[in-house]
Amino acid sequence: MKQSKNFRLVVSIFCVLAIISTVRLWTDQDALTSSGTIGTALRLTVPILLAGMAGLWAERCGVINIGIEGMMIFGTWFGAWGAWQFGPWVGLLFAILGGMFGGLVHAVATVRFNIDQVISGVVINLFAFFGVRYLSELVYVGKPGGGISQSPPQKSALPRFNLPILSGGEIAGWKSPDFLGWLESQRWFILGDFGGIGRGLTHNLSWATVIAIIIVPVSAWALWRTRFGLRLRSSGESPVAAESLGVKVNRLRYYGLLISGGLAGLAGGTLSIVASSYYRQGQTAGRGFIGLATMIFGNWRPSGILTGAMLFGYAEGIKLVASDSITALFLFIAAISAVFFIYSVIRRKRVQVLVTLVAFIVSAIAYRTIDTVPESLTQSLPYVVTLIVLATANQRLRPPAMAGVPFRPGEPH
Amino acid sequence: MQSESVRPKLNSATDVVNVVELTNISKSFPGVIANRDISLQIDRATIHAIVGENGAGKSTLMKILYGLHQPDSGTIAINGVVTQFKSPSEAMAAGIGMVHQHFMLADNLTVLENIILGSEPTKYGVLSLGDARKRVKDLATSIGVEIDLDLPISDLGVGQRQRVEILKVLFRGAEILVLDEPTAVLVPQEVDELFVNLRKLVANGTTILFISHKLDEVLSISDQITVIRQGSTVATVSPKSVDRLKLAELMVGSDLPSHGERTTKVGEKILLSVRNLTVLAKARKNPVQNVSFDIFESEIIGIAGVDGNGQFELCEALLGLVDIQGTVELGGKDASNLNVRERLDQGLAYIPFDRHREGLMLAASLWENGLLGHEATLSRGPMIDVKAARKSCREIIERFGVMTPSELVPAFVLSGGNQQKLVVGRNLANTPKVLIAAHPTRGIDVGAQAAVWKEIRRSRDAGMSVLLVSADLEEVLGLSDRILVMFDGEISAELDPKSATPQILGKYMTGMQ
Repeated sequence: MKQSKNFRLVVSIFCVLAIISTVRLWTDQDALTSSGTIGTALRLTVPILLAGMAGLWAERCGVINIGIEGMMIFGTWFGAWGAWQFGPWVGLLFAILGGMFGGLVHAVATVRFNIDQVISGVVINLFAFFGVRYLSELVYVGKPGGGISQSPPQKSALPRFNLPILSGGEIAGWKSPDFLGWLESQRWFILGDFGGIGRGLTHNLSWATVIAIIIVPVSAWALWRTRFGLRLRSSGESPVAAESLGVKVNRLRYYGLLISGGLAGLAGGTLSIVASSYYRQGQTAGRGFIGLATMIFGNWRPSGILTGAMLFGYAEGIKLVASDSITALFLFIAAISAVFFIYSVIRRKRVQVLVTLVAFIVSAIAYRTIDTVPESLTQSLPYVVTLIVLATANQRLRPPAMAGVPFRPGEPH
Repeated sequence: MQSESVRPKLNSATDVVNVVELTNISKSFPGVIANRDISLQIDRATIHAIVGENGAGKSTLMKILYGLHQPDSGTIAINGVVTQFKSPSEAMAAGIGMVHQHFMLADNLTVLENIILGSEPTKYGVLSLGDARKRVKDLATSIGVEIDLDLPISDLGVGQRQRVEILKVLFRGAEILVLDEPTAVLVPQEVDELFVNLRKLVANGTTILFISHKLDEVLSISDQITVIRQGSTVATVSPKSVDRLKLAELMVGSDLPSHGERTTKVGEKILLSVRNLTVLAKARKNPVQNVSFDIFESEIIGIAGVDGNGQFELCEALLGLVDIQGTVELGGKDASNLNVRERLDQGLAYIPFDRHREGLMLAASLWENGLLGHEATLSRGPMIDVKAARKSCREIIERFGVMTPSELVPAFVLSGGNQQKLVVGRNLANTPKVLIAAHPTRGIDVGAQAAVWKEIRRSRDAGMSVLLVSADLEEVLGLSDRILVMFDGEISAELDPKSATPQILGKYMTGMQ
């Protein structure tokens, strides 16, 4: 069972690679899998990934967190402030603390006072947006480069590095070869794409990116392999059962929301410290909600969230780096839809047959007819992808059973 | 916990015979006295049954013993040591484990995770899953239970879930096991299996408190029986010295429900006719497959079956809530294409499976609940006729004996039995032609049960057809004129209630025949 699962994963990755490689060679759009695109995609993946993990921690402990966007805003502001005052590492720490503040507010509102979780989240989003604007007025206005809607630029950035041997990193002063870069430049079928993607993932890496990626397996381990994690999940699955076994549900929900807020804050911090060098109003641009979408897409599992975040990151990355390639992407979507269409015909899933057929026809027509994509359309691409993914995502989703349901300890049940 | 240190070891010679001793326990909630001066002694390594109607105070008493509630007065002594439990974890530490009536399991977690939750074997906070697995396996073997520890709970049947509950408390080292209505959800064969497991447990030295209102089971499994009525202990008897009737009288005081022979005859006219009804599957197998039956005027057809074998979907199909293949005729007219409202207007009525989920708005007042489904007759233009609605609700309350201060209180104030009486009353109020009654007496006390049965019989005698869906075999056997057994979405047998027994029904219900 387990082996066949891994086997299927490898095969499907290979298939996607083959399709995209074919599309690349056919349309001559190397940017589809160039290391530049992938590197950008990775950078854009990180905040979405962290937002998704923030959603995971909150919902696993039983509280819906619509306020991730707001906690990210706290992260961007406090992170930028910390980085401006004390340097990037302290900035990240402040970002986490800022997000945790948002998480704490959400916890007090929903766990202590049983306020509706969605309402509390929405209020946090509004409060964060206007709250940091007020703080900006107090702190940034009048400083060189600062204003009501942005912070002064930071003096230093987080260090970046290349992986040795694979992407030309340095080992003790010796410059190692850039193997993947060489592979990419050969443009071979599949191998060229492999080189581009590999180099994009290992070249000019920020430590913040590495930390974000490491958070995925660490979260999985903490949630599924530790006592704390089991109890936290049980608080989201069946708080009544958990309480009957002496588990302190509400305390765990506090912890879960603090972790959730901290991750959201870190997500915001990567936006204002790593992806740029100052805080700007509206910097989060709805990524908190996209993070929640990836959480659903990822079926409330860390590995799924990573996959979803990479998908969104890629869609956004290609928009930024190579908007010319978007027409080629239509062909890619058409090809993928065709594959899923055949699959769903074999599996006789009527709704999916229809959805994939429509997706195929629309994207095929789009590829044949559209030469230049209007700016507004490219801007909306990540959101279109979000919609398509959520519409076609597997219906066998397993959310935590009691996420969103308030729990009052000691009540008769 | 000081009791931990002084707790005598099992099997050691000890002069304390009473493993649990409750003395003069009283507990009241706002407006209700749940327990009044209850005293109880329980011997080591015995099965002690506590019987009483719903609302008699059994569950409250057990919750006090388990630390979920604190008594207003009175003492609890475990192994001769007086203790106070402020929380379930303190009760657990003293060796008390409780299997709740509604299972306390997390559906998406695995069997193993559910069992170890709360007392996980760990190393530096990391779960020792191998160790846990071995301990649970050993425990399961010792009481004769076989179960796959890696399945999520949602994949298990009711009987298996109950085993998980029992393993869960044993894993915590419980020596006193409280079972709250353990057989309410089981078919006869599963009950037998459970009893085998329980006897093994007692043989290993565990003491069991068995809460039930099923008198036959209580008589067959217990060593001692304590009867509770209206919050007080009525008597403690040995099962050898009483019979079913005597026990029931102790339980309710008087006014026993009896089935008795019907005096009226089944009519000639077919009021509900179902032909080749299939409910198409959303997932795998069709939940209802090719079901056909007729119900005559003034006839009760009982559908017996383990929950989840298509009864729910069948009722939904008859109501017009789901797409079907096949035909449904109401009063001789094709109703297959009618929507729910139109079917109700044709004289269909429905007592739903779960009165909380489908039957009532718990936070709304009784008269508003009584209004549901009768909006058309109880309104003036677009406005609700509050006066008429309240009057009609008062009539339901009076006719069906709903115990309530007035029709203005919210539904959640009422006990389960009274809530159910209201639901039944609402649906019988305007004399429907066909009644679908799903678990009409589930989880309500004997008195309320008798009232519901009486009303259903009375309406039947007046010509109403009834489709009775129930897992309570006694109810199915007592009320029905014919019995259909549903298994795996199909009708697996048609039986005559005069010749059928719970054992025969159980075999068809589990697909053994």
